[in-house]
Amino acid sequence: MSDFSGMDDLLQDFLTEASELLSDVDNKLVELEKRPNDKALLNTIFRGFHTIKGGAGFLNVDPMVGLCHRTENLFDKLRNGELSMTPELMDVILNATGVVRDMFGALAQTRMPSAADPAILTALDNVLHGKTAAPVSEVAPVSVNLPPNVTTNTTLKENTSPAGEPDWQVLYDVLLGKPTEVAPREPIAMPKLEMANPKVETVSATESKSIVVDPMQVLRPAPAATSSKAQASTGQPLATQETTIRIDTVRLDQVLNLSGEIGLTKNRLTTLRTDIMAGKMDAPTIKALDEAIGQLDLLVSDLQNAVMKTRMQPIGRLFQKYPRLARDLARQLGKDVELVLIGEETELDKTMLEDLNDPLVHLVRNAVDHGVETIEERIAAGKPPKAVVELSATQVGDHILIEITDDGKGMRPDVIRRKAVEKGLIDAETANSLDDKQSLQLVFMAGFSTKDQVSNISGRGVGMDVVRTNIQRLNGRVDIQSVAGEGSRFTIQLPLTLAILPVLVVKVLDQPFAVPLAMVREIIPIRQEQIQEVSGRATIVVRDEILSVRSLATLIGWEEDHIPNFGVLMQSAEHSFILAVDSFIGRDDVVIKPLQNIRPKGIAGATLSGDGSIVLVLDMEDLLESTAAEGSAIKASRFITAKAI
Amino acid sequence: MADQNMRILVVDDFSTMRRIVRNLLKELGFSNVDEAEDGQIALHKLKNGHFDFIVSDWNMPNMTGIELLKAVRADPQLKHIPLMMVTAEAKKENIIEAATAGASGYIVKPFTAATLDEKLKKVFANMGK
Repeated sequence: MSDFSGMDDLLQDFLTEASELLSDVDNKLVELEKRPNDKALLNTIFRGFHTIKGGAGFLNVDPMVGLCHRTENLFDKLRNGELSMTPELMDVILNATGVVRDMFGALAQTRMPSAADPAILTALDNVLHGKTAAPVSEVAPVSVNLPPNVTTNTTLKENTSPAGEPDWQVLYDVLLGKPTEVAPREPIAMPKLEMANPKVETVSATESKSIVVDPMQVLRPAPAATSSKAQASTGQPLATQETTIRIDTVRLDQVLNLSGEIGLTKNRLTTLRTDIMAGKMDAPTIKALDEAIGQLDLLVSDLQNAVMKTRMQPIGRLFQKYPRLARDLARQLGKDVELVLIGEETELDKTMLEDLNDPLVHLVRNAVDHGVETIEERIAAGKPPKAVVELSATQVGDHILIEITDDGKGMRPDVIRRKAVEKGLIDAETANSLDDKQSLQLVFMAGFSTKDQVSNISGRGVGMDVVRTNIQRLNGRVDIQSVAGEGSRFTIQLPLTLAILPVLVVKVLDQPFAVPLAMVREIIPIRQEQIQEVSGRATIVVRDEILSVRSLATLIGWEEDHIPNFGVLMQSAEHSFILAVDSFIGRDDVVIKPLQNIRPKGIAGATLSGDGSIVLVLDMEDLLESTAAEGSAIKASRFITAKAI
Repeated sequence: MADQNMRILVVDDFSTMRRIVRNLLKELGFSNVDEAEDGQIALHKLKNGHFDFIVSDWNMPNMTGIELLKAVRADPQLKHIPLMMVTAEAKKENIIEAATAGASGYIVKPFTAATLDEKLKKVFANMGK
């Protein structure tokens, strides 16, 4: 149940479009701080609020109408030069956009948002009436002065007959008839034009107001029904993630075309089948069959690509939220930071885009909070007072590269090592064995925070370990580069989509398993004499790197009774190891089907192989995690025992 | 009453709003509707196709509704087409400005199909005069 039954489609459209608009307004506001008198910016922001208000009006979201009405008027005055921008005023406006965003959140759950905090409305009204910010000229109290209840509560003034409407033809004639005498600024010249004057009978103030507040009465449920529906909806939490998507029709047409062609190829195959069943097995028939299947192969992979493209969204949708975030945080910390966005048009799978938000928010906050210095520190270090944080996205091959770069103080590997030891995350011996690059990776460990005091900004209990976990969940990886004194760069590498997963299919005994190809570095044969025991673990040295050998059979809990023939060199962000298997089938692009009702440890799902048999797709991180608890030494000894057989 | 098959151009930069206006027009039996995202695109469509009626938003990027109105009235091929302004404001100055520029009607958001119907009837009644 919702407060908007019957208007769900419209509401979705509105939310999608209006949220983008609001993000744009937020960004423009950040720009406006730098260029407070930019007419074009003021106009765009004005239009943004105006448009949101218009849409909200049709949906009867009165609290939003009331709020946007005020901000819109404010920007009208700003662009007309009646008011000028001050930092205090900017805070009031930014507060207001925050409230509008909260209201979108309520709407996304098809709930009527509650009225805006009266303090914000009062603050806006005060500014509009020139109480706090100094107005340049006298404020004209035309429609600006509407008390809150006019726009929010006057729903009963329903549709008073539009008989009081000005006679347009007369008005037009009069105006055009005496164009020189009737200057638009002199409404006294014509009683008919006195829209706001209640004494004039043709056009009364009640009429003009009733138009303003005349919501779609027909569509509005009775107040009682509204509240009961609101209660019903609270009992049933709705997903806040968007469930609709806007697709370029060109892309949709491509899907249609390809499915049409696949249909034609299918017809061809059906005909060929009839021939073959009838015993027609001559060379031309077989050749035609081969061709048709070859074509189908091509078309299906094209279709997969085309369907995938429909899910692709520009990353700018995500990026555009961050300048405001960086700005607010920098202000709070007394820093001067500019967030530069690059590659906003880069496209990424929609679901990934949503899941990427939290890690990116964290990294942006982190860059502003921990990465860059205060203005004083920067001046002392001979840097420009304004810090620059760059957020960029590019597509490299079949991957997306997202980088967050700051020109701050950078990270010092020795400090990080010391902190990690102090916090008991690693022992001193391990710390000494780490090189600088490995030391930086320590910040991804759970419980790591270089600041002695957890700030209420970045240290909200969500650490870099969560960032990495989230990125890994998207089959991605995150790396750090940092130069002390010059800045840091976090690089996130992601596949374009999660819908299709390239895998390597391996075999243990006769059972095939699929492992994500993204983790596979290389494949090596395992020779018994290469296996060395290092502190109870079976290891193999590959190009001077000591890698532990994990047998897939033991990882999934099977009895190991022979030595695996091959090792797959796997690399995850955390560690590299050799996965020992019996044989290979090859690489494949699979669509993972989740297993219904059961979720065995280490299994991401299942897929069908070419011959129709079921292949389990392994979730390596999960698999390693589940077995790590049992102690890897046991695994190793078991493996070594196996070797002895 | 106006011909239900007449071709109407709905001009608004907010696609949700175009959809709303379109739905309301459909409710009134007008389904021959095209859309334009701003004044410039609207003008282009008007010059390259036949339209009988224009419903235009006021505030739009590139070319506002009032600019579109002025351009339409200044074009000998288009000046006869009735144009109704849609806006969120019932401000006196705006109404006068629209009227001066030759608007055929003025409707304030949000409105119902009934209000729209009323306004349309008025416009066509006046045209018949």
